[in-house]
Formats: sequence, structure tokens, C-alpha cells
Amino acid sequence: MKKPLQLSFTFLLAGALIASAGCSSSNSADTSKSDAKPATNAVKQGGTVNISLDADPPKLDPSFSTALVDRMVFQSIYDKLVDLDDKGNIVPMLADKWDVSPDQKSYTFHLHPGVKFTDGTDFNADAVKFNIERYMDKASTRRNELQAVDKVSVVDPSTVKIDLKQPFAPFLSVLTDRAGMMVSPAAVKQYGDDFLNHPVGTGPFVLKDRVKGSTLTLEKNPNYWKEGLPHLDKVVYKIINDSNQALNNLKSGQVDITNVFPTKEIPNFANDPKISVVNQAGQGFQGMHLNASKAPFDNAALRSAVDLMIDRDAIVKVVLNGAGTAGHSPFAPTQFAFGDTDKFERPNVDKAKELLKQGGKPDGFSFTLKIGTTPTNQQLGQMIQNMLKPAGITVNLEKVEFGTLIDQAKNGNYEAVQLGWSGRPDPDQNLYDWDVTDGTQNYSRYSNKDVDTLLQSARVEGDNNKRKELYDKAMQILNTENPYLYLYHSNNVFGLSKEVQGFVYVPDGLIRTATLSK
Amino acid sequence: MAFLVRRLLLAVPVIFLVTILVFSLMHMLPGDPATVILGQEAPPEAVAALREQLGLNDPIVMQYLHWLGGVLHGDLGHSLVDNSPVSDLIAQRLPVTVELTIGTFLIALIIAIPAGIISATRQGKFSDYVASILAMSGMSIPSFWFAMMLIVLFAVKLGWFPASGYTPFFENPAANITAMILPMFATALREAAVLMRMLRSSLLEVMSADYIRTAYSKGQRERVVVLRHAFKNALVPVVTTSGLMVAGLLGGLVITESIFSIPGFGKLIVDSIYQRDFVTVQGAVLVSALLVVVINLAVDLTYSLIDPRIKVGKGAEG
Repeated sequence: MKKPLQLSFTFLLAGALIASAGCSSSNSADTSKSDAKPATNAVKQGGTVNISLDADPPKLDPSFSTALVDRMVFQSIYDKLVDLDDKGNIVPMLADKWDVSPDQKSYTFHLHPGVKFTDGTDFNADAVKFNIERYMDKASTRRNELQAVDKVSVVDPSTVKIDLKQPFAPFLSVLTDRAGMMVSPAAVKQYGDDFLNHPVGTGPFVLKDRVKGSTLTLEKNPNYWKEGLPHLDKVVYKIINDSNQALNNLKSGQVDITNVFPTKEIPNFANDPKISVVNQAGQGFQGMHLNASKAPFDNAALRSAVDLMIDRDAIVKVVLNGAGTAGHSPFAPTQFAFGDTDKFERPNVDKAKELLKQGGKPDGFSFTLKIGTTPTNQQLGQMIQNMLKPAGITVNLEKVEFGTLIDQAKNGNYEAVQLGWSGRPDPDQNLYDWDVTDGTQNYSRYSNKDVDTLLQSARVEGDNNKRKELYDKAMQILNTENPYLYLYHSNNVFGLSKEVQGFVYVPDGLIRTATLSK
Repeated sequence: MAFLVRRLLLAVPVIFLVTILVFSLMHMLPGDPATVILGQEAPPEAVAALREQLGLNDPIVMQYLHWLGGVLHGDLGHSLVDNSPVSDLIAQRLPVTVELTIGTFLIALIIAIPAGIISATRQGKFSDYVASILAMSGMSIPSFWFAMMLIVLFAVKLGWFPASGYTPFFENPAANITAMILPMFATALREAAVLMRMLRSSLLEVMSADYIRTAYSKGQRERVVVLRHAFKNALVPVVTTSGLMVAGLLGGLVITESIFSIPGFGKLIVDSIYQRDFVTVQGAVLVSALLVVVINLAVDLTYSLIDPRIKVGKGAEG
């Protein structure tokens, strides 16, 4: 499966990402995303940049999208109310500024004036209301992200107010991604269910042609609201499932940027005259769920024994070729919640055997670990298998096709399953749904009232210092109970032709095309 | 004509059985389509709502009849993933694979026929060994590996052809052909090897027949004997193999299509299976079954052209 098809859902299996060795983002022209910035004469206008994607984007409608590759293409077609900058800070996009009420329950957005959708209709407060309400609909996959929203009101054509049921700290972070993307209400009304085949936004490029399974050709939006942007005439996304084949295309010049770069090849491109590698920390993590609802992992001591036997540094070295960071929390190094809770112990057989005794299995036990089918998944599984042997823990590896893997994980039909997450800007978006009782990604079926209370408090607290304290407390419990074993933080690794200028690495790992030139 | 009608009618139950088989197999696959489509983060309510919308809660027989009803009205349904009509998806993808198949097959023939003839007529000589070694290599080298090597040499090192990708023929014929040459060669090597071995043994058998000795004894030159008398008679098993080969290629080029990022028919089916887009899989497999029936029919008709002693509709059909 690869991917074949694989559906790279919004998270990636271990295989997909990684890395962190010497990276160099290519060059200059940076910052222009936060606000309109006149093109300098130095920036070349026109031309085409070809970007390879590892899967065909299934749904070009932010309301129904579930795949990471969709979000890659969305950066060209849609703008969001707010965006992330290269440091991961939230910056204005379609909203020039916003006010938050003292009780943190009301957000008033002041929209950039004069913006039009690429079908010629106006982007205004009514459009924002339309979009947010559309994402709150039962059928939308965005519903969960916007569950805090109570109502959206149009104050005047360029001002919109969103009231929340209770304070929700990750709210702006949520709006930097699909839930904040503005699509044309007129186009949605015109095309209905088929809107995803006729996407219309306010973005720098417009979808002109698509050969399913092969290419998406986007042309410049000549009326783009950010002055001087975009620089290119065309962006072509090429679907190339295999990362080595994407690299061949990069070498031969058919592709200028690859969204997945084979980590084994990173050292070979340290001084390449034509290709640079961007290898930067992302927001995601990889690890494994242990099913706390049934034996053997309904026993926290046994979960901890497994945790203690894993050599995370070795995994990062061997599986990721260094393109990642070993860790023990869901928080990316760029997030405010990151800190001491990410520390982990070196493997310790004696201590693990002690835990096994506590857990009533002094002679060890065996369990089945379900993994995906990529070579990376397999390598990771085999390493874990070998690492647990000295403590007498036997791991049976079961390779499962990806769609089935998710299904079985959701239904609790597993003992241990390796599944990660591509990550989001706010810590809440990397933790809440995994560990809160009945959370949408709580495949471990873990439930702890103290954790529930802490995570709930952390999402309504406005002050990040206080939030960090709450997350620290929650992670102390989770790192003792170990319903999910964090293994490492993934890097995003891109291959980039040195002819491409203006590439800005943003921690969400999505390629902003407006500032590119060639 | 009666033969044709009879063959086509016989195909109906076959295709009917194929649809039932595919439908049941798709529904036996682990992994609920709604869960797969909505992904990791979807809340249970959304999954339930989608199941309802897709009609997955109906009894499976009802789902099948519903689908079959659409098919009989010429409606293959809409993709579960992006709502495109399945007939459009097939119409986009099938011509790509047909082009790839025809090209692969022609290249295979161009290699196999001369090699097969040389090898059979120079049996035991140097050129036979060379041809046989090449054929053995062709059969034993995995086509995906050969494809990668072609890419490294011709796309990355020499830059003669693109490493992958696809341009529709009518948009830019030159770009289409340059992009298709490497994938065609990569697949054709193996097929050529099979055809060449087949032709060689078939020719050797025919060459020992009495009428060939007669032809030689009448003083005809070898060239004439081989090409006019022997070759045609040696073709029957080769045509049978070719028919199976073409039918196999139409649905089985998925590895080549994946390596070269060609949006073909095989890849459509495999991608759709992974996405649990069973409406698309069913439609595509149905079309694929139809194609196999048509190709087999064409092969049978070809026999009588090659060898008038074979009468379609008599004997063989019995």
C-alpha cells in the first residue's frame, strides 16, 4: 500500500517524515507571508515550479478533507483567516487583525478589505460566516475542531464576530489550517457536492487542470490581493508515490520541490550544486498506542515496562537516519508546552523486570504489535521487537494495510498499534483527543479523571505559562501510565532545486507557493 | 455472426458472476469504508453519518441490487472519494493503459519475432545462445528493477526521457511519447522474452513437419520456407499467449504505472482498493472483465485468419 494509495491521512505513518541533520533552507525571499509586500526587482516573475506530492489529494474541499496532501495543495488555492510564520507564530492573513474579549469567549476579526474570490465574488464577513457554519455542519470533518464555536455574527461587511461556548485556547491555531480556509460561498452553492472538483478560494493560484492520479496544474491568480504576489505563472503538482522516484525527478529537473525526501539520501546532498535539502523539525510525533482496555496492557506496569526497554536514540539514528528527535511527549520543540516532560530514560532491563514483577508477569509476556506496510514501519517494528527481548517480552509483528490499521485501532481490535500524527500548532491539538476519555483519537481507550480535568483546564486557559503548568502535570501522569508510547518527533524533509527562490519553511510542513520564484 | 452472438451471450453469466464476486470481496475487506475515508481524527458521529449516506447500513444484497440496477441503466455510480462519476474515471484512465499496453505489445513483438526466428533457425548456434540468454534475462529480471535502471540511465544520467509523468497524447503527442517510451520498454522486455521463447519452440516444432521438408526438397530457399510456410503455422500458440498477455497487461500494469507515475487503469483499481472506494473498484473490474471477454473473442477470430483449418463456431465451441 503504499502508499499506494495510500491514503496518507493527516498523519503519517512512521515512514513519511523525518529528520534533522544539517538542513539548509534554500534561500532568501522569505517573510512575505505575513503581509503584502511589494515584489522587489530582484525577484524573478513568471515561470513554473513543479512540486511532487507522494499521493493524489483525495478531496480539494477543506470541509471534507482528511489527507495531508490536500493541505499541501490548499496553500495555493485557499487563504486562511490567520496563518503561521516561519517560527510557528500566528500572523494575519485574510484577517488583518483581531480582538479577543476579556473573557476569551469572543473573537472579532477585521478582514482585509477588497479581497475577491477567484470567481469574482467578494470575500467579506458574510463569506466568513458561511464558511465557519459550513465547517460546523454534521457532515464536515472540521466539526470537531470548531466544537467550541457558539455562533458567528456579521458586524459589518469587513468585521465578523465569533462567539465561543467557553474559552478555547487553540482557537486561532485551528484557524491557521483547514477550519480557517475561506472558500467561495457562490461556488459551493453552484457546484454542491461537486465543489471539491471545482475549488474556488482567494488564494494565489487557481486550479486550471487536473489529470487524476497524475498532475494538478494551477495558474496565477492575476488579481491576488497581496501586492506583487505570486511571482510564478504556474504551479504544477505532480503525483509521485515513491520518494526515490521523486528524487530522480528532482535530479533530472522535472520536479523542483519534493514533499518527501528519502532520509538515507540526505548526507549525499550536503554539497550538491543543484539540490538542497530542507530538513527541519515539524509538529508531529510517532509512537504506539497500547490498548488499555484489555490484557496485557490494561496493566500500567506492563505498559511502562515496554516503554522502558525502548532505545529511542537508536530508532532515530537507524530508522530516520537522524532526521528527527527522540522524545517522550507529543509536543514539538517549537511549542510552548515542550520541556522537561519530553525527557526519557535510557533502556534499563533491571528496572523493566521490576515493573514486570509488579505487573504480575515476572517472566515476561508477549503481545502483537500492528504496524503499517512501508519498509520504514517494518524496520521500526523489528527494532522494537529486538529491544524488548532482553526483558523477556516477545513482540509478534503484524503488518496491516493502512485503511484496516485505522479501522482496527478505532475499534480497539489490537493490543499495540504503531500510529503517529503529523501535528498541529497548538499543544492541545497534539494531546487532548488522544488522552481525554472517549477522545476521537483515544485508541488506547485510556481514561483518567485527573488527566481529563487537566486537559480540559488547559484548553480554556488563556495564559500560556499557566497552560504549560497544566500540560506538565498531565504529562507527568501520562508518562507514568503510558497509554501511548511517544517515540520521536518527526522532521519535515523536502528536496529543493537551487533554482527555486523564496522558499520559506513553516513548521506545519506545508509549502507556501505565493512567495516562490524560479 | 451467430457465433459472435453466442459468445457474447455466454459472456453475460461470466460477467454477472464476476460482479458478485468483486462486490462480495470488497465488502469482506477489513476496514470500514466510512472510517477509511474520514481518517484518523473523525468522531464516531461523522463515521455513522457517512455510513448512512453511503447506504452501508443496508443489507448487502440490497446494496448489490441497487448497484446492479444502476449498471443496467448505464450508471456505474460515483466515486466515494471525490464524487466523480466512475465512468469518467474509467474513461480518463483506460486510454492511458491501452496506449501503454499497445506500445508494450508492439515493442515486445518487434523484439520477439526476429529473435524467435533467428533462434529457431540457428538452433544450437551462437546467435541462438545469445537470444536465449537475453530471453532468460528478460524473464528473470524483475520489471520494476529494470524500470529503475532505465530511469537512472536514461532520465537521470543522460536526460533523454523524463523520469516519470504523463501528458495526454492529444495535448502534446511528442511529450506523450517521450514519457511513455521508458515504461513501455521496461515492461516489454519480459513480455518479449516470453513471446520469443514461445515462438522459438513453436517454430522448431513446425520446422520438423513433413510439409517443411517437402518445401525444402522442392528447392525453396530457407527464407521463403520459414517466412511463408513455417512462421504462419507457428503463430497459433503465440497468438493465444499474446491474447492472455494483452488482457493481463490491461489490468496488470500497476507496477509500471506506479513507478512512472502514470495515471493508468491498474493504478486506479489499486488506489481505489486502498481508499475503500468500492464503487470505483466494482465499475473498473466490470469493465476489465468485459475487456477480457472481448480480447479472447478477438483471439479466437484471429485463429481462423492464421489457419483456415480452424473454424470458429464449430468444433472448438461444440
